[in-house]
Amino acid sequence: MTTTTDTNGHEKLRGAEYVLGVLDAEQRREVERQLREDPELAAAVEAWQERLAPLAEEIAATQPAAYVWPRILAELGLGGSVMARSAPEPTASGGLWNNLRLWHWIGIGASTVAAACLVLLVTLPRPTPSPAPTPVQTASTPPPTTFMVAKIEQNNGIAGWTATMDVTHHRMILVPATPQAIADNRSTQLWLIPPGHKPISVGVFTPDKTNSMDLPLTLVKQLSDKALLAVSLEPKGGSPTGQPTGPVIAKGSIGGA
Amino acid sequence: MVQSPDAALDREQLAQWLTLSGRGDESAFAKLYEHSSSKLYGVCLRMLRDRGEAEDTLQEVFTTVWRRASSFDASKASAMTWLITLSRNKSIDRLRKRREAVGDDSMIDGFADDAPTPPSHAQTSQDHQRLDHCLDELEDKHRSAVREAFFSGATYNELADRCSVPLGTMKSWIRRSLIKLRTCLER
Repeated sequence: MTTTTDTNGHEKLRGAEYVLGVLDAEQRREVERQLREDPELAAAVEAWQERLAPLAEEIAATQPAAYVWPRILAELGLGGSVMARSAPEPTASGGLWNNLRLWHWIGIGASTVAAACLVLLVTLPRPTPSPAPTPVQTASTPPPTTFMVAKIEQNNGIAGWTATMDVTHHRMILVPATPQAIADNRSTQLWLIPPGHKPISVGVFTPDKTNSMDLPLTLVKQLSDKALLAVSLEPKGGSPTGQPTGPVIAKGSIGGA
Repeated sequence: MVQSPDAALDREQLAQWLTLSGRGDESAFAKLYEHSSSKLYGVCLRMLRDRGEAEDTLQEVFTTVWRRASSFDASKASAMTWLITLSRNKSIDRLRKRREAVGDDSMIDGFADDAPTPPSHAQTSQDHQRLDHCLDELEDKHRSAVREAFFSGATYNELADRCSVPLGTMKSWIRRSLIKLRTCLER
């Protein structure tokens, strides 16, 4: 059934169909190919984008996970907004940013870094005007912290996981580096150990996958450069007691501003 | 940190950050991400209905922004329209790939009942109010089909299945609606 009466009108409608999103993959590629050669179609598509885009105002904004921005920077090889305090191992080649790339992005580089703990502070610009971020060398002028990153080292000295904590949005992403194999009937559980306190469970996680975990405010308040993250082996499903019951297989310091 | 809602954001400021990103300004790029990522993530999430896929798509959107922002022309389009269009296109392409791979596993029994409902006019732009007014002039089922298409990224075939009408009928509904919308919006 055709509802258009002339070729021109039909082409313009094709642009509208493309913008609305009802075409299949092949038809979309065809329109995109034509767009490069047909200024009229291109103009129609632009006009339809302006007409229909306001509908998106109805979609609720949703905060993406904190690790998406570092992943974007890593993919683009950008590092302008990344700042470091405690320095990485001087022998680590490629500098800080490569470490960030490895840690955030593929999670396998951590085992090659000798430093027991590397704290990276990634600052997103604040809404208020402020000078462009510059690297901070001393602890006396700490930048606003959005992220903390810590390596969780296994007892054999090899990094098991890297934990990135988003203090602002109360999230943690745990990325496997080179974790040891875990028996099927056991679970790995992550604990936060503030200085002088008992371990607080962060949660049971899948050892060989990237885990995204909530950090309740009570846990966020305990994050400091004196605190430890530790992984214990627990019965399937996690510790029945609320405290570690099995061996600690990995641990690492975390830090903060 | 509460992100600025796009409605409250100065359009010119967003356009400036986008333009500067096109010139390689990393701090403008970071500002752009800070002020638009939650909106664009919402768009991706609405279409893909999967956090991981929406995150991957958002990453793709912003790497494309960095590489192609120089093609943004502030005299021709608003920055938010440009960004939303890019996000919808990336999401739709991903949906098409997903459906090629596993078949369409989304609901086939009518339209999603959690489709966004029009917010009160006080919260939306004049452009939205105008579009909403024109959508109101369509028959109910036609309007639902257009809205579902926009928010879910479904193809004609999928829309026809979800609505249990023949493909030709769905095409006719959508095309007639688009023509009416264009006429109404150009009045």
